[in-house]
Parts: sequence; C-alpha cells; structure tokens
Amino acid sequence: MKTREPADRLVDRYLSDLDHALRALPSSRRRQIVEEISDHIAQGRAASGIDDEASVRALLDRVGDLETIAEEAGAIPDRPRRSDAFVSWLLLLGGFLFVVGWFVGVFLLWSSDTWRLREKLLGTLVLPGGLLGVAALGVVPSSVSVCSGTSTSSPHCVSHGFSLPFPVGIGLLFVLLVAPMVTAVHLERMRGRP
Amino acid sequence: MVLGNDAAWLAQLRKGSVEHCVLALLRHGERYGFDLARTLAEDGGLIGSEGTIYPLLARLRRNGLVATTWRESVEGPPRRYYRLTEAGEAALSAFIQQWQLFRDAVDAILEEDSSP
Repeated sequence: MKTREPADRLVDRYLSDLDHALRALPSSRRRQIVEEISDHIAQGRAASGIDDEASVRALLDRVGDLETIAEEAGAIPDRPRRSDAFVSWLLLLGGFLFVVGWFVGVFLLWSSDTWRLREKLLGTLVLPGGLLGVAALGVVPSSVSVCSGTSTSSPHCVSHGFSLPFPVGIGLLFVLLVAPMVTAVHLERMRGRP
Repeated sequence: MVLGNDAAWLAQLRKGSVEHCVLALLRHGERYGFDLARTLAEDGGLIGSEGTIYPLLARLRRNGLVATTWRESVEGPPRRYYRLTEAGEAALSAFIQQWQLFRDAVDAILEEDSSP
C-alpha cells in the first residue's frame, strides 16, 4: 500500500480546491456538492480495483476541472465593484480625509463580497484609522496633539506624559506603521484573486 | 452564438437538453449519482465531465423535479438515490413532446433543403 498516501493527498487537494472554487455559493449548497463529489471519487476508486496515484489522477480528470463544475453550479463570482479599488487606499490614508475617509473605506469593505470575513476583520482592526490611527496612538511625539482630535482611543493616548524607552518606541512605531500597509497590500492581492 | 464555430451550437444544445435527459434516465426508477454521472459521460458525452452532474442534480432538486433518499448499499457506505417527483414527470413529458416537434421541424427543413 505504498502508493496509497500520495493518492489520498491528490484527492484531498482536489476537494479543497473544489470547495474554494465554489465559494460564491451559499455554504449548504457548496457543502452538498463537495460531499457528493467526494462520495463519487470514493466510489470510483472502489470500482476501479487499482488505487495507485496514476489511476486516481485519471479518475480526477474524469470528474473534471474545477472551473467547469463551478460554472455548472452557477458559482461564478460577481464582477467586482468598481469601488473595491479604493478600499485599501481609504483604509490606509482615508483617516487624513477628515477621518470620514476611513469610515467610508470600512463601509465599502464590509458591503463588498470580494473579501471574506477574516479579511474584513483584518482590514478593520489593523489598524482603526489606518496611518492616522498610528499617528493618533501618540507614539510619534509630535503628533500627540492629533490624538485628542480623533475618535480613536487608546491607553497610550490618554496618558500624555507616557513615554517608551527609545528602542522599544522605534520598534513599536515600525510595527504600527508596517502593519496597516501589509494589511492594505494583502487586501489588494485578495481583490485580484480569481 | 457565432455561426461556423462547430462546438458552440452543440454545447448550447447539450446544455439545453441535459437536464431533461437526467429526468429521462430516472423514468424507470431511482438511480444514484455515480451511476448517472458515468452513464451521461459515456453515452455521447452529454455532460462535459462526471463532476458537473452534481450541481445539475442539486438544481433539479431545488426546483422540485427530483427527490433524494439515502439508502444502504451492498458494497460500501450509504448512497444518495435520486428519483423523479410528480413535477419532474410532468416536465419530462412536456420535454418529450416539445423535443419531437423541434426534431421534426429541423428534419423537415433539412430535407426540404436537400431536395429543392
């Protein structure tokens, strides 16, 4: 049974790719199709007698390519909204547009079906206010005054006299600056996925 | 549809008739998905690949044309069997009638064309 393991892995990968290809469907419909195709593959393997990697590959070929199945299921994602292109920019820099820009970004993020829940949470929480939020945290001493002008509250913000040791402060500043940028880049990349 | 593209009209024709062919396969009793998939993929390639039968069956079920039952099988785990509902039978008879009219109309034109 040396050849069984890679064959199993092929099937697992096929099924998880299928699940992803059907993501535009409601989850109960998606689950049913994946389950039935999983049963189909199991029956095909049982019926063929030979269960090596090559025969499983041939079987998966007969089951078909994922796009065709997704198309038959009507799981072609809607054309993305034009406003999707602004979302990561608004989240990152919208705070500087009288703060309102960031809230517009959040609204567009949550009302679009381009992103999944995990990405929406990430976009909202890292970091609230985007780069303005970073400034408002008061890590940058010169922008402490900005702090009181935003709705973003933070323990750092409240205690004006608070200061961190220099290396820690620089490190923290770096992380806080990079995190929203990484998030924005991630959202942009996810926007481009098929 | 672009005329001259051989595959396009055939694909449209298949797409338009495959659901009713599934209903027709269930006319004489219930069958399970794997069996339907193999039959349709082998006989004249009515479906592009075996996997496409499942979204199609799901659609037929949502539209109330087929119903399913889980049943123990002799070899292996229980299987989901599909059978026609009353609505499915009605849809099938309507299709058979329309199909014959359609086929006769096309045949008549083709024959007329070959003997002016």
